[in-house]
Amino acid sequence: MPAQTDAAADWSGWRLAHAMAARFVHWAVDTEGSSRSSALIRIGLAMLFWSRWAGELLLYMDQSPAGLFLAANFFVATTLLFVGYQSRVAAVWTGAVGLAMYHYFGFQLGREPWTHHHTYLLAVSALLIALTPCGASYSLDRYLAVMRAERMGLPPPAERGNLLGLRLIVVQLSVLYFFAAFDKSGYAFSSGARIEAIFLWYYAGSDYPAIPGLAWLATLVSLAVVALEYSLAFGLPFRATRRYLLLPGLAFHAIIYVTLPVYTFSATMVLLYLAYFDADAVDRVIARLQGIGPTAGEETS
Amino acid sequence: MRLLAFIAIAGFMIAGPVAEQVFGVQSAWLRSWTMFSAIGLGVVDASFEIRQPDGALAPLDRFAMLGARRDGRLKWIDSGEELALVIKRLCTAAGQGADIRVRARQATRGGWQIIHTDTENACAD
Repeated sequence: MPAQTDAAADWSGWRLAHAMAARFVHWAVDTEGSSRSSALIRIGLAMLFWSRWAGELLLYMDQSPAGLFLAANFFVATTLLFVGYQSRVAAVWTGAVGLAMYHYFGFQLGREPWTHHHTYLLAVSALLIALTPCGASYSLDRYLAVMRAERMGLPPPAERGNLLGLRLIVVQLSVLYFFAAFDKSGYAFSSGARIEAIFLWYYAGSDYPAIPGLAWLATLVSLAVVALEYSLAFGLPFRATRRYLLLPGLAFHAIIYVTLPVYTFSATMVLLYLAYFDADAVDRVIARLQGIGPTAGEETS
Repeated sequence: MRLLAFIAIAGFMIAGPVAEQVFGVQSAWLRSWTMFSAIGLGVVDASFEIRQPDGALAPLDRFAMLGARRDGRLKWIDSGEELALVIKRLCTAAGQGADIRVRARQATRGGWQIIHTDTENACAD
C-alpha cells in the first residue's frame, strides 16, 4: 500500500513542521522570563550611548537650535534609561534620538561617523529593549513598584515579563552576522586582499611588510573570519552550539575593538550577547553571585 | 498581535541587507551590514628598486631618497596619480639617467589590481 505509506509520511512531515513552527512561535512571542538580563542590557545601552556621544553632544558643542534640542533629548532620554524611570518609554525615546542622529544629522546633514553601523545598532537596540520588561529590575521603576506594593500590603511585583524584545535582538544579531559574512563571501575578501588593504590603510601605509608568509596569514584570517561569522549567525541562538562559539565570538569582537575604529560596535555586540541566554538562567547566575534568591514567580527546581 | 509585531520587525531587519546586498538597492532607510567594505579601497602597495653602478637592482627607500618623514603624507599612496607623482620625485632626486623599477598594485573591490610593473625603467616614461 504505497499510497497509504506516502500519506502517512506526508502527515508525519506536516506534523513535524507544525510542531517546529509552534515551538518557534512560542520561543519568539510567548516566552516569559526574568527581567534582569533585559535590565542589564538597558543600563549597558545607556552607558554605551554616553560613551559614544556624550562628549560630542555637550551643550557648547553645537549651539544651533537643532543641536541644543538634540543634546537635551539625548541627555534626558539616556538618563531616564539609565536610572530606569518610565524605562520602556525612555528606551523608545533613546532609540528615536539615536535614529534621528543616524538619519537626520548623519545622512541629511552629513555629520560623520553618525551614519555608521555602530550608530544604527545602538539605536535599534534601544528600540528593541523597549519590547522587554527592562524596567522591572534594577530600576527606579522597580523601586517605586516595590514601595507601592509595601504600602498596599502586597508582595513585591515579579521581576518578569514577555521577552519578545530579546528574541528580536537575537534575530538582529544573526541577520547582522549572516550579511557581514555574505559581504565577505567573494574572492576579494577570501583571498586576503581586503584584509591586507585594511592593514595597509591603518597601519603599514603603502609598504607591504616584508614578513614571509604574511599573504598566507591574511588569507587564513580572512577565511576564518567568514567561517566564524556564518557560524555565529546560525550557531549562537542554539544552546548546543553556543557553548563552542561564545568565546570565539567575544575574542573576535575584542580583536576588532583594539585593532580597528569600530567605536562602540564591539561593546554593543558583547552586551547584546546577553539576549542569547535563557533569561532565567542569567537570573540564577546573578542570584548565586549576589547570594540572593531568584526573581519572584520563577520555579526554583 | 505580538506575532505580527515580531514578523514585521524581523522582516524589516532582513529586508535591509537583502535589498542592498542582494538586489543593490541603496537607501538610507535600509541598513546593510557591509562593515569596512570600503576601507582601504584605492590604497597602493608599492615597492621601489634602483639600479646600482654595478648593474644590480637594490631596494630604494623612498623616504630616505626624498628626505621625508616615515609617518608623514608619503607613507600612504592612495591612487595611481599619486604614485606617478612619487615616481617623478624619485627620478628627479636620483638624477638624470637613473633606472628606477616600480612594482605597485592597488586595492579595488575585486581585490588587488596591478597598476605598475618593474619590467621597464619608470624614469624613462
